[in-house]
Amino acid sequence: MPTTRKPNLESVTSINNDGSRNFIHPADTKGKFTLGRRVFGALLLAVYILLPWIPIGDYPAVFLDLAERRFHFFGLTFLSEDLWLGFFLLTGLGFSLFYVTALFGRLWCGWACPYTVFLEQVYRRIERLIDGDASERRKLDQAPWNGSKTAKRVVKHGIYLLISLILAHIFVSYFVSIPRLYQYMQHSPVENAKVFGVMAFLTGALYFCFSWFREQFCIIMCPYGRIQSALTDDDTVIIGYDEKRGEPRGKKSDPNAGDCINCSRCVQVCPTGIDIRNGLQLECIGCSACIDACNTIMEKTGRDRGLIRYDSFNGLNRLKKRIMRPRVVLYTGLLLLGVFALLASLRGLHSSKVEIIRMTGQPYYIDEGGIRNQFRVQFVTKQNEPTHFALNVTGLPEGARAVGMDEEVILQPGQEATKTLIIQVPTEIYSGEFNLTLEAAVTPGDYTLSSTVDFVGPSTYTLNKGNQSPTKTETPSPQP
Amino acid sequence: MNEIDSNNDSIVLREHVFDGIQEYDQKLPNWWLFTLYITIAWFVIAWVAYYQLPLNYPDDFEKLEAQISIIDQKKADELEKLMADLDNEAFANLSHDPTYTDPGKAIYEAKCAACHGLDLSSKLNGIQLPGVPLNDTEWKYGSQPLEIWKTVRDGSPDITKGMIPWKTQLTGAEIVQVVSYVLSKQPQ
Repeated sequence: MPTTRKPNLESVTSINNDGSRNFIHPADTKGKFTLGRRVFGALLLAVYILLPWIPIGDYPAVFLDLAERRFHFFGLTFLSEDLWLGFFLLTGLGFSLFYVTALFGRLWCGWACPYTVFLEQVYRRIERLIDGDASERRKLDQAPWNGSKTAKRVVKHGIYLLISLILAHIFVSYFVSIPRLYQYMQHSPVENAKVFGVMAFLTGALYFCFSWFREQFCIIMCPYGRIQSALTDDDTVIIGYDEKRGEPRGKKSDPNAGDCINCSRCVQVCPTGIDIRNGLQLECIGCSACIDACNTIMEKTGRDRGLIRYDSFNGLNRLKKRIMRPRVVLYTGLLLLGVFALLASLRGLHSSKVEIIRMTGQPYYIDEGGIRNQFRVQFVTKQNEPTHFALNVTGLPEGARAVGMDEEVILQPGQEATKTLIIQVPTEIYSGEFNLTLEAAVTPGDYTLSSTVDFVGPSTYTLNKGNQSPTKTETPSPQP
Repeated sequence: MNEIDSNNDSIVLREHVFDGIQEYDQKLPNWWLFTLYITIAWFVIAWVAYYQLPLNYPDDFEKLEAQISIIDQKKADELEKLMADLDNEAFANLSHDPTYTDPGKAIYEAKCAACHGLDLSSKLNGIQLPGVPLNDTEWKYGSQPLEIWKTVRDGSPDITKGMIPWKTQLTGAEIVQVVSYVLSKQPQ
């Protein structure tokens, strides 16, 4: 006989007392939250699947080109040297998650987490299609192996594997792009062993997670699930059971009973196997299935909806509700700080780069032309159209010369170039080391990049002495 | 729907009490224990393979050295291949071959012109640049094409002059191109 463990606060429903797994088969729900989650999940899936296919400029919308170390996001290109921006991206995502959690609890888990979306909107839908509703699935689990059960299992796991393969290929395509992935797929796996290995590992991981591991990840392994209890307080909107209205539980006909008729629909539909009537629990992923389930029953019994609803602990207990709390103010401040830092750093980020590097060899040379420094100038463009650099060297003392930067530099998309820059300072006007700056006016974009280096040379004192020696007579007396 | 509050579900507590506090005695999930067993098994395998068997695995430094020597070997092979069909005669032919002199011109203008002048005269608007003129018949370190190639590759024998070894920035083939371009500009 199919049985269900009764949920309690002391142990996890999905693990039996002997440590073995108790598979949870959540019942179907209907309602606005179920529909909303399904639509939102479909949207997220579409975004995940389509992004590598949509070309923006010359590249897919999102293409993290690991081989070339160029990262394309919606027409913007970043190089590996821009990786520091990832700090703001990650902290920004972190603070956003803090913020959302403080206000709305585990909204992310139930609505937007890829794990939940894949599990609830893809794999569990397939299981529902093949194995039937919750009680049929439970029965099938218990049933002895026969032809029909074997066929169902083979079909189900076959489709699971196929879907896992597709999802893994899409993931890989974010890093190698669709055309290259298609090219790889037509060749032996050995030729692209690394990419194939990643794809195979991912396929295995997805298949394992969604065919067997399921809610165990959310309730035992997920780090966000671990820290969320530190991020919420009594004013955080959670999914909760209105104890004041529902208790004591009893039959509909019982005049002394509360609104909860103890039908246990909320327990049957829970994908992590908890009883929401026990209050907020670590296992709750905020999926709102129990809200829809309870609302259906409340409507049938002619009672108000919302016995289980989105509300804060204070709201459920008829206490004063607050939106602005110290933690919300703090998280808002941190979020704004992060956004500001990101915007500030993006403002300083240009789609091209100019850098002066001193050439190998001696730091400076002295000959008839005076004191000479030799540099390499590196030009990089991340723009997807030809980039012009109009050059100008500033900071030179009167009479000094810069050679090699007279011509405009034009780079084709993705190109890099190195040019030679020579700075000559006649000995008679040399009065010590100085800074010089190369300014590059860039079109398109109309901004100016600059790179500054030291001009190095002998100390004016030793240069004086050298000039007084009889072997070097060619230079006139230098300035003091 | 059958909710069974059987003995199977009763909460197990340890007998030990301190300050009135008792501990649960619940089993870990089996899969969790299984990950522990995997790490133990992995430890045995790794310990035997890395510390007990006389197998000499290369460490990171040795792997790096091996990769560098592969690159060096590749470079040496390319150079040897290049030098096999390259002599002073061949250079004379290359200097008339636009597939060599055209890319050579681009390299010259980016790297060499700053010292030797765009027109190889070592002059810019009549003012002397640091490099020696390349459009006269005077060659400081050998006038044979291969000698010029060597000077570009390894730099001036006199390190105080400032002609650096270009082999760090240019490949052997690129040096051939730029030398071909310079030769094509010689008064003959």
